Amino acid sequence: MTSIQMPQLGETIVEGTILKWLKSEGDQVKADEPLFEISTDKVDTEVPSPVAGTVTKLLVAEGATVPVGTAVMEIDDGSGAGGNGASAPASAPAAAPAQAATPVAEGPAEAAPPAAQTQTQQPAAPAPTAPAPSTMPDRGPRSGILSPIVRKLARERGIDLATIAGTGEGGRITKADVLAAAAPPAAGTTVAPLPSVGPAAAAVMVAAPSMPAGQGEEAQPISHIRKAIAAHMLASTQQTARAWTMVEVNVDRLVHLREDSKEKFQANFGVKLTYLPMVTRATIDALQQFPLVNSRLDGETIVTPRFVNMGIAVSYDAGLIVPVVKGADGMNTVGIARAIADLAARARSHQLQPDEVQGATFTITNPGPYGSLLSVPIINQPNAGILSLDGIQKRPVVVEDDAIAVRSMVYISMSWDHRLIDGELATRFLARVKHNLETWDFAEDLGL
Amino acid sequence: MTERRPAWLLAPPGLIDYDVANEAMHTLARRRLDDEIPDSVIVLQHPPVFTAGRRAAEDELLWDEATVTARGGAVRRIDRGGSFTFHGPGQLVVYPILGLGGRPDAAAHLRRLEEVAIRTCADLGATVRRRADVQTGVWVDDEKICAIGVRLLRTRVTLHGMALNCDTDLTWFDGIVACGLPDHGVTSLTRVIGRDMRVDEVSPIAIRHVADVFGLAPTEAPDEIVRPFLAAAVA
Repeated sequence: MTSIQMPQLGETIVEGTILKWLKSEGDQVKADEPLFEISTDKVDTEVPSPVAGTVTKLLVAEGATVPVGTAVMEIDDGSGAGGNGASAPASAPAAAPAQAATPVAEGPAEAAPPAAQTQTQQPAAPAPTAPAPSTMPDRGPRSGILSPIVRKLARERGIDLATIAGTGEGGRITKADVLAAAAPPAAGTTVAPLPSVGPAAAAVMVAAPSMPAGQGEEAQPISHIRKAIAAHMLASTQQTARAWTMVEVNVDRLVHLREDSKEKFQANFGVKLTYLPMVTRATIDALQQFPLVNSRLDGETIVTPRFVNMGIAVSYDAGLIVPVVKGADGMNTVGIARAIADLAARARSHQLQPDEVQGATFTITNPGPYGSLLSVPIINQPNAGILSLDGIQKRPVVVEDDAIAVRSMVYISMSWDHRLIDGELATRFLARVKHNLETWDFAEDLGL
Repeated sequence: MTERRPAWLLAPPGLIDYDVANEAMHTLARRRLDDEIPDSVIVLQHPPVFTAGRRAAEDELLWDEATVTARGGAVRRIDRGGSFTFHGPGQLVVYPILGLGGRPDAAAHLRRLEEVAIRTCADLGATVRRRADVQTGVWVDDEKICAIGVRLLRTRVTLHGMALNCDTDLTWFDGIVACGLPDHGVTSLTRVIGRDMRVDEVSPIAIRHVADVFGLAPTEAPDEIVRPFLAAAVA
C-alpha cells in the first residue's frame, strides 16, 4: 500500500487544492502516470504516480484544499500492509500530520456545503473535533488571506471584512461568511466565535475622540501594515494577562568571544556574528526545559508544540514584522544566525512569503542595538511570552570575594501571559536562559 | 559559476495566435518531459486574448463575449495556475519550457520569473518589486506590471510563464478582475518610465536576464521547432 501525499512544490508552498481526480477507485495506474491535478497560488500541475498498482482510495474531495504532506490517495502496489479499504483509515494518518483531510464518504455524491465554491477544506461529515486552527500547530491564523470572490462580494455588499468572523480553514473568511454577514441575523442563528483581531481591528480606529489635523500638522492615512500592527497589539493587551520579569546576565565571555572571532565567523559563514543567535539558542534550550512557556491557549485547551518556531521581531520601513525561524530547535547557533540574517534581509526588502511570518511558538525582540536598557514588550499572540534582549553595557558589578569589577552586562526580560504561566515558572525559565549564557562555551557551536 | 544549460530560444516576430502557440508550447513541454529536446524559452506577443486559469471565477470576466469579440479579442480557458489575465500587443510574453530536475521547486521558479522582470525593468530605469503580501508577480506600488502563471507537467516541466506590460493598451484590463485582485490595478513600462517602451526594445534585455536567472545558454531553435509559431503570426 502506498499513500500518495499532497506534494511539496517548494518550501514556501504550504497547501494545494485538488482540482480533479484523473483516476478513480479501482483504476489501474502505471508508474509516472498522472493521478490528479492540483492548483496552488500561481502553479497548477498534474501529479504522477510514484508506483504502479490499483487505486484503492481517494481520501479527500475534489475541490478540497489540504496542507502539503496530507495523504490524499492510496494505491495498492502489492507491497502488502492492509490490502484494501478496511484498513485505510488506520494507515492514512501515518503519512500525514494529525489534521489529515477528512475522508470522502463514498463517491462524488457527498453533500457539498453551501460554501463549496470557496477554497476551504470541506469535511464530508460533521467534524467531531475542534475546527482547523487548533489542529494546525505550525500555521497561524489565515484570516488575512481572502479569495478574490470574498473580497469582491464584501465590497459589493459594503461589508467591512475586519468585522467578520471567518469560519473557513484557519479562520479564513469564506463566501458564506460574507453572505451571512450581509443577511439580517436569523432567529436562533449561532454566531461563530470572533477571530482574535476582528473586534480590535474595528475598535482600534474609533477608540479615541477625533482630533483632525490642524495648522502645522500633517495628516496621512494609516497604512495596511500599521493598521494590522495596531489591531494585533491592541488585541494582545486586551486578551492577555501580561506580567513581566527581568534577569541581569553577565555576558562578558560572549563579548570577548565575539570580539575575538567576528571576522573569522563572517569569513566562514558569510553572516555577521551578533548576540541575537546566541540568546536565541539559549532561549530554545530553556523552552525545551520549560515547554509551557512555548505553549499557547486555544479556548480552554493548552496546546504545547514539541518544536520551537522562533519569531524574531524585525523593524523595517513599513513598521514591524515577525518572521519565523521554523524548526529552530533543530538548528545550531550558526544555523540560527543564518536563518535570522536571511529572514531579516528579506523582511526589509519586502520579500517574505506569507507562511514565513506565521506559526511562531515564542518570540524574541531585540531593541538593544538601538540603545535600550529595558523594554516591556507586548506579547505576540497566541504566544505565552516574548523575550526582550536589551543593550549590553559595561557596569561595575560585585564579583567573587566581594570585589568590584567591570563586566559586560545585559538585562534580559520577558513579558508573559499569566493565564498560562506563573511567576515561578517565568523566573526559572529566565534563570535558565541566564545560566546558559553565562556558562555555555559557544565557540564550538559557532564552528570556531 | 555553474555551467549553463543549453536552451533553444524561440522569438517569433509579430503577434502569434494564442491557440496555436499554446498547442505548440505543450508539444515542446511533452517532448521535454520525454527528454527528447533541451529546455526552451519562447518570447512573443499575442493578439488580444483573455486567458483564465482554472481557479478563475466566471464573474471575474466583466465584459460579455460579444463585447470582447467586438473589440477584436477572445477568451480562452487554459491549464495554468492563477486567475484571469490579458495578453495583447505591446506585452512581452515569456514562456520558459524547463525541466525542473529531481526535486522540483515550483516556488523558486515563480521567484525566478519575478527576478527576470525586476532586472529587466531595472535596466530600463523602472523600480519594481515583489509584493509577497499580495500575490506572486511584479509590482509598482499597488499596480501589477508583470503577471505570472505557471503549469507543470507531472511536476517536472514548466509551461506558461510571465507577461510584462511594455506599451500594452491597459484599457483591456477593464474587462477582467486581473489576477483575481479587484483592489489592485495594472500598469506598464510606458506609463512608469514616461516614454514609449516597445516590446522590441525590452525583449533583448529580458532574454539576457532569462538566460542569467535560469542559468541557460540560449541558441537559436531549429527551424522545424520555430515553424509552427511563425505560421501562427497574425500580424
